[in-house]
Amino acid sequence: MLIILDPVMSKSTVESREVKFPPSEAFRFSIESIKRRFVRALITAVSIILGIAFYVGLRTMSDIMLSIYGTSEAARSYQLWMAIISLIVCAVGILNSMLMAVTERTKEIGTMKCLGAMDGHILMIFMFEAILVGVIGGFIGAVVGWLAGVLIYIGEYMNVIFSSALMTSYIMRMGEGILIAMILSVGATIYPAYHAASMDPADALRFEL
Amino acid sequence: MRYEYTVETEDLAKYYQLGEVVVKALDGIDLRIRRGEYLSIMGPSGSGKTTLFNMIGGLDRPTRGRVYIDEVDISKLDAYELAWLRCRKIGYIFQTFNLIPVLTALENVTLPMIFAGVPREERMRRAVEILNRVGLGDRLHHKPAELSGGQQQRVAIARALANDPVIVLADEPTGNLDLHTGLEIINMLRQLNVEKGVTIFTATHDLKMIDVSDRIVWIRDGKVDRIEKRVDVVVGMEEI
Ligand SMILES: Nc1ncnc2c1ncn2[C@@H]1O[C@H](COP(=O)(O)OP(=O)(O)OP(=O)(O)O)[C@@H](O)[C@H]1O
Ligand SMILES: [Mg+2]
Repeated sequence: MLIILDPVMSKSTVESREVKFPPSEAFRFSIESIKRRFVRALITAVSIILGIAFYVGLRTMSDIMLSIYGTSEAARSYQLWMAIISLIVCAVGILNSMLMAVTERTKEIGTMKCLGAMDGHILMIFMFEAILVGVIGGFIGAVVGWLAGVLIYIGEYMNVIFSSALMTSYIMRMGEGILIAMILSVGATIYPAYHAASMDPADALRFEL
Repeated sequence: MRYEYTVETEDLAKYYQLGEVVVKALDGIDLRIRRGEYLSIMGPSGSGKTTLFNMIGGLDRPTRGRVYIDEVDISKLDAYELAWLRCRKIGYIFQTFNLIPVLTALENVTLPMIFAGVPREERMRRAVEILNRVGLGDRLHHKPAELSGGQQQRVAIARALANDPVIVLADEPTGNLDLHTGLEIINMLRQLNVEKGVTIFTATHDLKMIDVSDRIVWIRDGKVDRIEKRVDVVVGMEEI
C-alpha cells in the first residue's frame, strides 16, 4: 500500500522527523554569543562581581577577625547578615540585567524557533550563558573580595592571615562565592528564558522593546 | 510522495480579544496552494496577511479551522514534529530580515542545518554554495549590520533555502527595500520557483509581485475578497 511508504505516515521514519541541537552546539553558540555581545555580558558580570566581592570580602574579614580576636557568636552572625544583605542587594541588579539581556533577544528567539529550535534548545543556550557568566563573574568577584579582605590585615597580622587554617577557609569562601554566583546567575535567567522560549514564534517575532 | 497541494486551509480563523472588542484578523479562509505555485496575498494594511502567514507557517495557533502542509494537519503535530516542519519543510522570509545579529552571513545560513542534523563540513559547503548562488560569495563573514538591506534579505533567502524547503513563506519580503532591490529579490524568488519548483507564498503590498505570481488572493477584513490568475488582475487604487 502506497500510504505506508508516505514519510509522514510511516513509523520507521519517525526518528528522522526530529530536530537536533546537541549540547556541544548550544555551548558553542553560547560562547559566541557572550563574546560578540561582550558589553552586555560585562554589565551582567559587573553586578555579579560586585555582589560576590562583597560577600567573599566580608566573610574573609570575619574569618580573619575570628582567628585574631576570637569574635563572639553574636558578632559573627551580625557579620554574616551583612554579607547576605549585600548579596541580596546585588541579586536585584543581576536579576535586572539578566531580564534585560533575555528580553532584548525575544525576537531572535522567535527567529530561532522558525529555523527549527525547540523551547528546550533555547533554554539550553541561555543556561550555558548564565553558567559561564556566573562562573567567570563569580571567580573574579571571589578573588577581588578575598584580596580586599586580606589586604586590610596584611600589615599587622601577616603571619596570622596566611596560617594554614585560614588558607582552607579562604578557599572555602571563594568556592562558596563562585557557587552562589552561579546559582544567582542561573536563577535570574531561568524564568525570563523559559518565558521567552515558550512564547509562540509569532508573538516572539512581533515583540519590540 | 508528491502532494498536489502544498498548503490547504480550511475555514481558518484567528480572533483577538482586545478588552471588549473581538478583532477578527482572519475569518474563515479556505485556500489551496498547489505544489510549485507562486501565490501572493494582497490586501490593505490590517487585512490579515501577516496573521495568515503566521498560521500557515505554524508560528501561531488558529482560533478555528485547520492548516494542512503536504496533507498533514499541523494542529495534530507534537512539539518535535512542529519544530521539524519549521526546520525542514518551510523557509521563512520576513520584512525585517530577522537575521541573528551576532552571527555572520555564513553562520546564519548554517544555523537551520544544525537543527536538521547536517554534519559540519557539509553545512559549510552547502551554505557557501547557496550564498554564492544569491550573489553573496564575497560577504560570507560579514555580520548583518555590515550588510545593506538587500544583501541582508538575500542572506535571509539563502537561510530559508538551507534545508531545501517545499515551501517558502515570505511576509512583505520587499517592504523595506527600494524599487530596484525589491525587484531583485522578487526575481530571485521567481527563479527559485521556476527552477527548483519551490512553492512560494508571499504576503505583500508590492504590485511588482503581481508580475511573477501565478495567482493573487486579495483579502479584506480577514476574508478572501477574490482570487485572480495573473492575466486577470485589475488593481483598484484603494486596494494597495
Ligand atoms: N497580537 C495581536 N493582538 C491583537 N490584534 C492583532 C494582533 N495581531 C494582529 N492583530 C490585528 O489583526 C488584524 C490583522 O493584522 P495583520 O498583521 O495580519 O495585518 P496585515 O494584513 O499583515 O497588515 P500590514 O499590511 O500592515 O502588515 C489587524 O486589525 C491587527 O490589529
Ligand atoms: Mg503584515
